[in-house]
Amino acid sequence: MTETVAINSDGPGIVRVQRQTTSGFVAMALGTSMIAAIGSMPWWASQGQIRDVVELCCYIAVAAMWNLLAGYAGLVSVGQQAFVGVAAYAMFVMAQLWGVNPFFAVILAVSAPALLAIPTYALLHRLDGPYFAIGTWVIAEVMRLATSIFAYVNAGAGMSLRVMTGYSADQRAMGVSFLCAFMLLVTVGGSYLLLRSRYGLALTAVRDNPVAAASQGVNVGRLRFLIWMAAAVGTGLAGAVYFLAQLRITPPSAYDPNWASIAIFVVMVGGLGSLEGVIIGALIYFFADRWFGEYGAIYLVVLGLLTLFMAIFARGGVWGVICKIVDAPWFPTRRTLLEDKP
Amino acid sequence: MHWLDGLIQGVLLGGLYAQYALGMALMFGVMRIVNLTHGDLMILLALTGISLAARFALGPWPVLVILVVLGAIIGLLLQRLVLDRVVGSDPLPSLIATFGLSMALQNAMLQFWSADTRSLGAGGIAQASFQIGSLFVGVLPLIVLLTATVLTGSLDATLRHTRFGRALRASSVDVEAAAMTGVNPKNVYAGATAIAVAILGFAAVFQSMRATVAPADGPFQLIYAFEAVIIGGMGSIWGAFLGAMVLGISQSIGFRIDPGFGILAGHLVFLLVLALRPQGLMGKV
Repeated sequence: MTETVAINSDGPGIVRVQRQTTSGFVAMALGTSMIAAIGSMPWWASQGQIRDVVELCCYIAVAAMWNLLAGYAGLVSVGQQAFVGVAAYAMFVMAQLWGVNPFFAVILAVSAPALLAIPTYALLHRLDGPYFAIGTWVIAEVMRLATSIFAYVNAGAGMSLRVMTGYSADQRAMGVSFLCAFMLLVTVGGSYLLLRSRYGLALTAVRDNPVAAASQGVNVGRLRFLIWMAAAVGTGLAGAVYFLAQLRITPPSAYDPNWASIAIFVVMVGGLGSLEGVIIGALIYFFADRWFGEYGAIYLVVLGLLTLFMAIFARGGVWGVICKIVDAPWFPTRRTLLEDKP
Repeated sequence: MHWLDGLIQGVLLGGLYAQYALGMALMFGVMRIVNLTHGDLMILLALTGISLAARFALGPWPVLVILVVLGAIIGLLLQRLVLDRVVGSDPLPSLIATFGLSMALQNAMLQFWSADTRSLGAGGIAQASFQIGSLFVGVLPLIVLLTATVLTGSLDATLRHTRFGRALRASSVDVEAAAMTGVNPKNVYAGATAIAVAILGFAAVFQSMRATVAPADGPFQLIYAFEAVIIGGMGSIWGAFLGAMVLGISQSIGFRIDPGFGILAGHLVFLLVLALRPQGLMGKV
């Protein structure tokens, strides 16, 4: 995919901007077939496999959104579980209490995190770097505690998605699989489109130096708010899909700080500021959890130390190491100038 | 009387929160680092203290001395081994590093001490109280409050009047300029972190005497410390003390409205301050 741009008619002639690479084409083809495979899971996968894939996709989605926030907008959040929980609860309320079709409710439920994103940003954007992070945590705690005393959603006892008994196992598998494919398309595909657009250029500029970006005409505050909002919606979608598969929700599970831990681990180990890193990190976390989860606390100690190690010694994560060896981006966002020789 | 009692209990609770918050105010003031292991280190010290007291049949006061010294050592190590490598203008590395360390610490403590809640036997002092009118005031909470006041006053005086304090304030304004005038920022940072964690030694003893501690409690203490610092105003030591009082009173009054509302009331007051007076009660604009 090249764009032809006439930069200077009496200069070096026509210059083309190349943005796609061979590795990008291969990755695009693989990615499209993966999403098609996920959407068609009911026809080839077992119930257990579907549950695993849904979980993995939710990790990818939440981490992709955290990557946008921390890797590009410079907004480090440790309270993304606020959006997971509020969207999941909104889905339960719509489906269980209002009688909306639960699969449709998943899509409608993302309005809740979008609404929550507005006042939270208004409050928190006054806080500087690290304090912003703990501020997001306070918001998540407020949501958890408020939900725990909110009788309409059955307070601390939580809710069950009993309306799902009205659907057969096949229908449920189909709905969850479609939503899962849709979620990946929105979060990963959406991130990629955003990064390729002119907003992506502005975001990269903000990531590298917010002051310089502002001086180039980037409205840093507005851009950060848009990313905050987009990340809230994407994270919320993951929460709604996850709890649709879980069928049961309680305040501690909905607002589980573990969501933030997963997002941070996935992005930091995979590689901050890259979509490839999100996918690599999510796969590492998913398989580490499957293989070593039985070791409980010791496994989490290792996970924590690994995050610490990455922050000190390998800021680029696994993808950063790969990039040093071979230059083959899966989601190329770089613009290369090609000059046509007369 | 019901509400006056709530107010007094809140001030006393605030004394404990002030001890959490002082170290955080100091570290953020100097290094602009938020150490996410702040709460976990307090729990680590508390659990260590409880185990030492049980093993060697120590009273709370010898344990306090041990924990303060141990806290200073841990602070020094934390700064040298971890924070020195991640401190900088970008807040992300220090956040992520301490986030990972916090996760590792919590689970290591869970493995070592199990998830049980524990407390430190305080002898008769835990139950002792005296009566003012129709109100009862506990002796131990009063000691906690007095200790917090003395700690705040000493820390504030240290920052204002000692050579170390001047070096610290200079480094917080401009590290490079301070280094040019002969201050060694690495030593100043190490000193600040050592003091911050040593103060947590006090908090650890009083927390485990007044209530219970469990390995997973750290994040909550971190949030209280953070809220106290923001309510009070960043960069002000007495501000952190005042913020802790406001937080303690909010929670205490909240608990009297509804037991499920106590902690939430504290958070809401914090958000209210953030909305109406973002620079904090004692912060400079």
